[in-house]
Amino acid sequence: MVIVSVSVSVLILLSVQQLREDAKRSFSNALSGVDLIVGPRGSATELMLYSVFQIGRPSRNMGYEGYTALAQLPQVQWAVPIQLGDSYLGHPVLGSTPALFTRFKSQGQGLQWAQGRAFADPLSTPEALSEVVLGAEVAKRFGHKLNDKLVLTHGQSSGLGTEHEDHPMTVVGILAPTGAPIDRSVIVSLQAFEAIHVGWGMGISPSAFKAAGGAQQPLDIKDLQPSSLSAVWVGLHNRAEVFSVRRKIESLERGQLMAVMPGVALDELWQIVKVVENTLLLVGMLVAISAMFSVAAVLLVAMAGRRKELAILRAMGAAPSALMGFVLLESLLVCVVGIVAGYVLCQAMLVAGQGVLRTEFGVLVQAGWPAAQAWWALAGLCGVALVASWVPAWRAYRLSLSDGLHPPSV
Amino acid sequence: MTHALKLSQLSHAWGNAPPLFDIAQLVLLQGENLFIQGPSGCGKSTLLGMLAGVIEVSHGQLEVLGQDMAGLSSVGRDRLRGEHMGVIFQQFNLLPYLDVQANVLLPTRMFPSRALAAAKEWGDAQAQALHLIQTLGLPQSVWHQPVNQLSVGQQQRVAAVRALMGSPRLLIADEPTSALDEANQLEFLDLLLDTARRQAASVVMVSHNPQLAHRFDQVFAMPLRGHA
Repeated sequence: MVIVSVSVSVLILLSVQQLREDAKRSFSNALSGVDLIVGPRGSATELMLYSVFQIGRPSRNMGYEGYTALAQLPQVQWAVPIQLGDSYLGHPVLGSTPALFTRFKSQGQGLQWAQGRAFADPLSTPEALSEVVLGAEVAKRFGHKLNDKLVLTHGQSSGLGTEHEDHPMTVVGILAPTGAPIDRSVIVSLQAFEAIHVGWGMGISPSAFKAAGGAQQPLDIKDLQPSSLSAVWVGLHNRAEVFSVRRKIESLERGQLMAVMPGVALDELWQIVKVVENTLLLVGMLVAISAMFSVAAVLLVAMAGRRKELAILRAMGAAPSALMGFVLLESLLVCVVGIVAGYVLCQAMLVAGQGVLRTEFGVLVQAGWPAAQAWWALAGLCGVALVASWVPAWRAYRLSLSDGLHPPSV
Repeated sequence: MTHALKLSQLSHAWGNAPPLFDIAQLVLLQGENLFIQGPSGCGKSTLLGMLAGVIEVSHGQLEVLGQDMAGLSSVGRDRLRGEHMGVIFQQFNLLPYLDVQANVLLPTRMFPSRALAAAKEWGDAQAQALHLIQTLGLPQSVWHQPVNQLSVGQQQRVAAVRALMGSPRLLIADEPTSALDEANQLEFLDLLLDTARRQAASVVMVSHNPQLAHRFDQVFAMPLRGHA
């Protein structure tokens, strides 16, 4: 019982620790393989939030020329444009190119297809304008299958008259879960993103214009090149050049662009949530410490029942100090066994829960030796265990002295 | 002949209370048995604690196995008890989480001199233990049994085996028979005294039951309080 209570608290402490580490790593690696994220000059944090996590929305866009210009830089291996702004039942719509599906990496893993395929390049296949790819979570949440038709919403509200009902989209592919924010996204081609907005002005549906007698031209795919983008993901031939390329990009377009390194920016972002993180750690610590002392309390209570045992050992010539050492060792052993059991349990749970954690919470956990900080926490626990063990040990010492050969008969 | 016990003017009081007992003179030769008799509360157990070296001697003289108890440190007294005495209680003599074997071999494991004494006569401690088990009328099959599977009578015998391991010179027994039924009491006592005699050990036993007294070489009635 005592061991169980210790191990549970160690479990809590270690899982908090582990999840914290892994959450941080998952966070930092949410977008891997991308060397630079380019967007309009402004807040790097904001750029990260909307381009990687689709949280918030761009306050302004960058010019499309910036994208073409940076894509032509010799050091740039690839550049994937990102267009944001629309949503589907609360999920962000991401406009991009088919290259996204081959370039995107999360936790170092590329995208896998659960069903179907990527949308085609609209420049060669016009049908691609109504093709849409769903992230795993979107598909699961709304139960979408291939060939389902869906209507996107203009902006992030879902108010009346802001549906793109004149442009129903067909699901052609569903992505396998990655744990990255892309699971929650709906992905269309840049041109499709543009096409559904043709005729829109000031956020008003074109049907309003139609009613007013406005005529719609048949769409020419060449004309569907957007004039501006939310962000561009850039991959380099050589990562070592990231600083010089960054300077180069930021000097393009009269200095209107900003390039950030996702890893660095994500770490900065993480600093913001550090308070929460530290609170969790503190709670875990307190739980563990209180568990240690409850161990001491339990052993202390058990001591009453063990007075006979102490008297027997005493009768056989054991000195009170020896009995004290005996109880000390025992309490310590209980604590240490509890700690080890908690650790093993924690790792076992991590291994068992790995899949669920990744797909449901986007946290990729790694079972293995605890991080340096966890070692400190464990060492601290052993220290507390040692202190806590003295309590029953001292009691044993006092009892064995006062009881002598005569334990109170129970 | 050496003395197993030698008391003079020994008294004891808890705190500021009036003395529990005051014994003018008591001598026990090595190998002889002593029966200490008296009603409960007269200080028998305290006296036993002093003989065993668990309770410090404050007034008077006490020599146990030739050692002046007042002159020994508490560790020294613990050592004397561990190496040369065996103790049997009324009940609860055995560690419940160990089997008979581990319980019985405990004294020889705690004190090498006890193991040595057992080895000298029997080859090794286990041989002596098995011999004692037989002598005290226990079946050999108890050896690996957990102690809580034994009857109270069997447990007392196992306790006696343990106390006799390594041939201690003094056996201290506190009401060892009161947990047994009438018929078993005398049988157990006879076995205990007989085995102790063969090991040349003195037995000091405390009991409130005067019917057992006639088996002993010497009987000492605790002086009643206020009569000392």
